[in-house]
Amino acid sequence: MTGTMTGPLLEVTNLKTWFQSGRGEIKAVDGVSFSLAPGEVLGLVGESGSGKSITGFSIIGLIDEPGRIVEGSIRLEGRELIGLPPHELRTIRGKTISMVFQDPMMTLNPVLSIGTQIKLALEAHEKISAADARERAIKALAQVRISEPERKVDFFPHQFSGGMRQRVAIAIALLHRPKLIICDEPTTALDVSIQAEILAEMKELVAELGTALIWISHDLAVVSSLADRVAVMRSGNIVEIGPALGVLTRPQHDYTKALLDALPSRAKPGQLLLRGSGIADAAPPPRKSATLNLPPLGSPYLVIDDAMKRFEKPASLFRSLAIKSGIAQPLPVVQAVDGVSITLKRGEVLGLVGESGSGKSTLGRMAAGITVPTSGTIRLNGKPVMSDGRNARKITTRIQTIFQDPFASLNGRMRIGDIIAEGPLAHKLVTRAEAPIYVKEWLAAVGLDPTFANRFPHQFSGGQRQRIAIARALAMQPDVIVCDEPVASLDVSIQAQIINLLIRLRAELDLSLIFISHDLSVVRHLCDRVAIMYRGKIVEEGVASTIYADPQHDYTRRLLAAVPVLPEAAE
Amino acid sequence: MLGFVLQRLWQAAIVVIAMSALVFCGVYAVGNPIDVLISPDATQDIRAAVIAQYGLDQPLWRQYFAFLGRIVEGDFGRSLVYSIPVSELILTRLPATLELTLAAVLFASLVGIPIGMYAGYRPHSLVSRAIMAISILGFSVPTFWFGLMLIMVFAVQCGCMPAGGRGETVNLFGVDFSFLTGDGFAHLVLPALNLALFKFSLMIRLARAGTRELMLSDTVKFARAAGLSEFTVLSRHVLRLISIPLVTVFGLELGSTLAFAVVTETIFSWPGLGKLIIDSITSLDRPVMVAYLMLVAFLFIVINLIVDLTYALLDPRLRKGRA
Repeated sequence: MTGTMTGPLLEVTNLKTWFQSGRGEIKAVDGVSFSLAPGEVLGLVGESGSGKSITGFSIIGLIDEPGRIVEGSIRLEGRELIGLPPHELRTIRGKTISMVFQDPMMTLNPVLSIGTQIKLALEAHEKISAADARERAIKALAQVRISEPERKVDFFPHQFSGGMRQRVAIAIALLHRPKLIICDEPTTALDVSIQAEILAEMKELVAELGTALIWISHDLAVVSSLADRVAVMRSGNIVEIGPALGVLTRPQHDYTKALLDALPSRAKPGQLLLRGSGIADAAPPPRKSATLNLPPLGSPYLVIDDAMKRFEKPASLFRSLAIKSGIAQPLPVVQAVDGVSITLKRGEVLGLVGESGSGKSTLGRMAAGITVPTSGTIRLNGKPVMSDGRNARKITTRIQTIFQDPFASLNGRMRIGDIIAEGPLAHKLVTRAEAPIYVKEWLAAVGLDPTFANRFPHQFSGGQRQRIAIARALAMQPDVIVCDEPVASLDVSIQAQIINLLIRLRAELDLSLIFISHDLSVVRHLCDRVAIMYRGKIVEEGVASTIYADPQHDYTRRLLAAVPVLPEAAE
Repeated sequence: MLGFVLQRLWQAAIVVIAMSALVFCGVYAVGNPIDVLISPDATQDIRAAVIAQYGLDQPLWRQYFAFLGRIVEGDFGRSLVYSIPVSELILTRLPATLELTLAAVLFASLVGIPIGMYAGYRPHSLVSRAIMAISILGFSVPTFWFGLMLIMVFAVQCGCMPAGGRGETVNLFGVDFSFLTGDGFAHLVLPALNLALFKFSLMIRLARAGTRELMLSDTVKFARAAGLSEFTVLSRHVLRLISIPLVTVFGLELGSTLAFAVVTETIFSWPGLGKLIIDSITSLDRPVMVAYLMLVAFLFIVINLIVDLTYALLDPRLRKGRA
């Protein structure tokens, strides 16, 4: 160890990590250089595929085949890590450098207890008795603010919520008091309020232990709340690096500017975002609904009255007999949506905000006629959305849905032309002869090349797929679209394009939207009215700007306070 | 947990009863055992007397209920060929089969899983390719041919291994075992190897596929990031995670090997149940066939129950909600 107090803890020079693929080399990281002082927090920001995670994995020496570090140097306290034999690298991993991953549902081993997993991590670097390991595990859990650590040390991962699991992962990363922790999007999979808690705790722990941190994230606001310095990555390179405040308020590089401009929180609500394209796209084809007798804009359109949804676990034959005879208790039910009444006016965008498990998606699915409500009614223009009776089903085509995951929502074995034409053909909106032209018109309207109709979904990127999903929904010529987190899985620049597309189409087609999201800045940008959901109920509802400026309900206040905010841009 | 076990036992009882009806009717349709039992030149009176003695003049449903009643009393009837109680007959043969199949399945698992995991851990190495080649061979070579080859090479050409039989046995707790004597063990090796080949290949494939997939998972990456050695990652994390499909297949294979070790037992003249059932079918020994099939059904049910309980042991997520 030659490191002195003044020298950098970590020095990465001209790092190149390439992946061998059938189509040649993929230069995931291509000449990255930066240094990190002891105790410093560096935010590594970029969109997916920018190489930020690969940079992190390169530092900790966990590049899997077919990737390899082809060039460069990584010096930890002056000691070169590249080229170290595996067993020496292992003594550094977990002890001097440790890592926290994105999805806490996937990182912990589901079949080992928390205590066992901590014990294994302890044994990796020291000899320790079972009793001592348990003692240390309890202390480690207490350090990351897990209540009743004596009891919880014997829990299995599935007994913890996502935020708790991430705390356990952080506890494991902190076990040997490492000098550097690499956090790869550790709060991306969590709700905002949990994210805020973990961010605050991380800040404290880092200051307390003097650990340096590399915080990898796509979210500029999260990074700005934590990092001393920020590095912006794009296609394997760092395009800009500097003090966090400077980079985020006075960006020098065009790409950093573009990233910031794509954020809805930086724009005036309802306006097209600066960097999203789609202003010059073709107009959508004429719709038959023009001839329908629709109520004027602004009058109540989709009325949800006292909707309730309960999910019951189906009981086995044995148990249902036992319940009937009074021996056993009925299985617990999940009250997903608990008596919600809300009205969507024609031409309005209604935001439905809440954390995971708040029932917002279930409410959206009931509004769209996908899920049958346990009780309550949902009417569109006075007519029920679902038929009555035991086998209730959707009886209108006027409501369509756009789902979160464009990879899962498009059938991978159908050409996109067929995917878009399927519904309109089934409902005789177009004839078979007209269909190809109709599909092309819609593809053009969502900003895609009309000749793409013959391709399969896997040939498109996430943003393009979401456009296809929008075209599929709109081709049914609906008046109401339920958008269930349509931009949650997209990068900010793609997200800006989809937001712009929705803003434009909504105006051109007089659409009414229910926009479900956990992202408060996107909702504020797009929605006229907002309803905040918490545990199956709407706790607050009103005009978007009012709610954001003056939240009434406690929960809304907490939610808004938890959102990390970017420093204002210097003009 | 108790509720779960009770529920499974209840299901098991239904399966056993259904199985008994199916077996009884099926065997009834195969042929008349009287033709085999008495000489063709017996008089009509003797014939009628024998038919009445075995209750074969009754309608099918009466015979079935009489049969069920006897089973409840633990009486599976007497073998028409050996004239001893069927339960006794089966019990003398069962240990031999159990020994052979357990040896085969344990060998397949204890050797197949580790080398399968290695093949999944280093999928591109030469050794792994060789392991996979062996497993493909194990899938495609017919058991009887492989058995004959084993006898030809080791028993006939080298003469280092016995060609058949059980060899010297030791009586322990009233049951004969081969593997405790040198001679008996030598007799066990070839048939066990023959019986294990297919299962061995299956275990290799399963362990390899599971390991290969898991090595890329975040769980393994996180364990490595914490500095765990590769051996600890494989033995503590990966093995536990791939064990559920392995236990499933282990259970299924144990059951089917017990029931259908016929080919191997015949080739190596292993005095087990497989040989007994083949002989009973040719001689239409109805009580033995029925009892054997019932035993097979029962064994499958017991093995599956144990497999289900093992799941709960292996995966804590399954323990919850069944309490």
